[in-house]
Amino acid sequence: MFKFQDFDGKLLALRAEMTAPVARIVTTRMPSAPEPIRLFYITNVFRYNPSYLKNEREFYQAGIELVGCNTPEADGEILALLISFLKQIGLEQVRIDLGNASLLKDLQNAAGLDQKQKAALQRLLSCRDLIGLKKFMTENNFPADLCDVFVELSRCRKLSEVSKISLNGSKYEDAKKQLQSLKELQKALVDYGIDDLVYFDFSLTRQIEYYTGMVFEASVPNLGLPLGSGGRYDKFIEKFGKLDLPATGFALEMGKLLQALTAQGFEIPKDPKTKVVVACNSTKAGVEAVNALRACEVVASLDVTRRDLNKTLEYGKLTEADYVVFVESNNSPVTVYDLKSDKSKTVQLDAFIKSIGGKN
Amino acid sequence: MKNKIRIAIPNKGRIKQPSMDALASAGITVLEEERTYVSKTSDPRYEAIFARANDIPVYVHYGAVDLGITGHDLIQERGADALELLDFGFGKATMVIAVPEASTITSVDDVPALTRVATEFPNITKKYFESMGKQVEVLEVNGTAELAPKLGLAQIIVDITSTGETLRKNKLRIIDNIFDTTTRLACNKIAYRTYENEITELLDRLRGGLEQ
Repeated sequence: MFKFQDFDGKLLALRAEMTAPVARIVTTRMPSAPEPIRLFYITNVFRYNPSYLKNEREFYQAGIELVGCNTPEADGEILALLISFLKQIGLEQVRIDLGNASLLKDLQNAAGLDQKQKAALQRLLSCRDLIGLKKFMTENNFPADLCDVFVELSRCRKLSEVSKISLNGSKYEDAKKQLQSLKELQKALVDYGIDDLVYFDFSLTRQIEYYTGMVFEASVPNLGLPLGSGGRYDKFIEKFGKLDLPATGFALEMGKLLQALTAQGFEIPKDPKTKVVVACNSTKAGVEAVNALRACEVVASLDVTRRDLNKTLEYGKLTEADYVVFVESNNSPVTVYDLKSDKSKTVQLDAFIKSIGGKN
Repeated sequence: MKNKIRIAIPNKGRIKQPSMDALASAGITVLEEERTYVSKTSDPRYEAIFARANDIPVYVHYGAVDLGITGHDLIQERGADALELLDFGFGKATMVIAVPEASTITSVDDVPALTRVATEFPNITKKYFESMGKQVEVLEVNGTAELAPKLGLAQIIVDITSTGETLRKNKLRIIDNIFDTTTRLACNKIAYRTYENEITELLDRLRGGLEQ
């Protein structure tokens, strides 16, 4: 995070993400807003990352939060919105990979692992290395029932498979609760009609501490980095003062969305409006012509530089204008230079506007 | 849209040939290797990219290639967020801290604050000394770090060594090992999701080949 002191000695920081600002606003500015509260943002955030691979400092995020509700339906809404958004901007082959932030933690605690062992286990699960996983569990004396659950969970690719896993024993109460929540989420995904696009990844827990339930990443095959991510955070907003305010949401990186669209061959459509540069001998006549063009929804600008007409034509080409219109005086015909074909003709301004389909 | 799985192989150096042999044993023989960067392979699902070994972790991180064969040391140094799916076992070496034989420094504890350390691996070096609670000045060099103490540029070096021969020739003494490294198969995280079946199958074949 970027932190610095202002002249009063107060400590300032640039926001590194938007979930904390949203939590602050919800608790301080919206104390009596009816719940659930649905919020969105499109804004810049700032991160300092010492790795020179990730050397971006400022980037734009678009995100949403659904605050005040902890049902599977709320999680389903967030995922459905994420998928429909990505499809709507034109991305294909979108997929969501989803895990549970608490499930792995609870099972690790049940197995009594220390920090180093947890890191080793995380590596094996991320690589989906079942041989290595089994070896690790034998070496670290995992109880047999726990071994089975770890292997089964790392084999699961869909939530429907997770729903079939059962766990017995009073030691595993917390993990059982999370398995149950995944089962309920699976039902919600079917109801929202998105279960075919959501994949389960036991190893996915995200590095952010505040997640308590589902965590997920969105991706497309053409881009090697996730487009964005999100999850459920039920114990985070209470840190800002208001008790018991569960929430769920996601943030997308806009730069990555553009990269993914480009990788899939998407081209930004050209502005369909006609662009005209007006040059004139009489400023009054020029201003009138520009106003007439603008009134018909043509993008028009007056050349205010007093330069030679040839220079204006050159400028028009460089700025990708369609036409340069030269106005001699009021009501007299204008000379239209078509910059695409390099042809010119003399017509009445009204006729020109009509010919380019100006709306009036 | 991209549909072939891209695998990066070092374009020179001591792990190039063993990497190609390992792939060949798994049924992926690189065709038309000469003078091309992108090569077809005997398995139409895969294409090979020849790149510098220390760029390969970056390519894998960003998904420019789906898989890459490179050293664990280079993956660590570039800070790439990649999955190391397989240890090939070859390219064995150790990341070491060394001082001139005549130096009074015998362990990392003896290293005075602000000592200058020459290395090709500035990120690993910074991380290591930070973890030891030592503030040092890191001097990045491209190759031949062992020369730096001779020229009075640095009192210590951090370098990779396999036999220790170069260090001995340059009258340097190892005071600590940072980690052991071998050649790994690095995989982009999104690619592992997208092509899980193909990559898992390749891993099985590579493991089979390594056991022979």
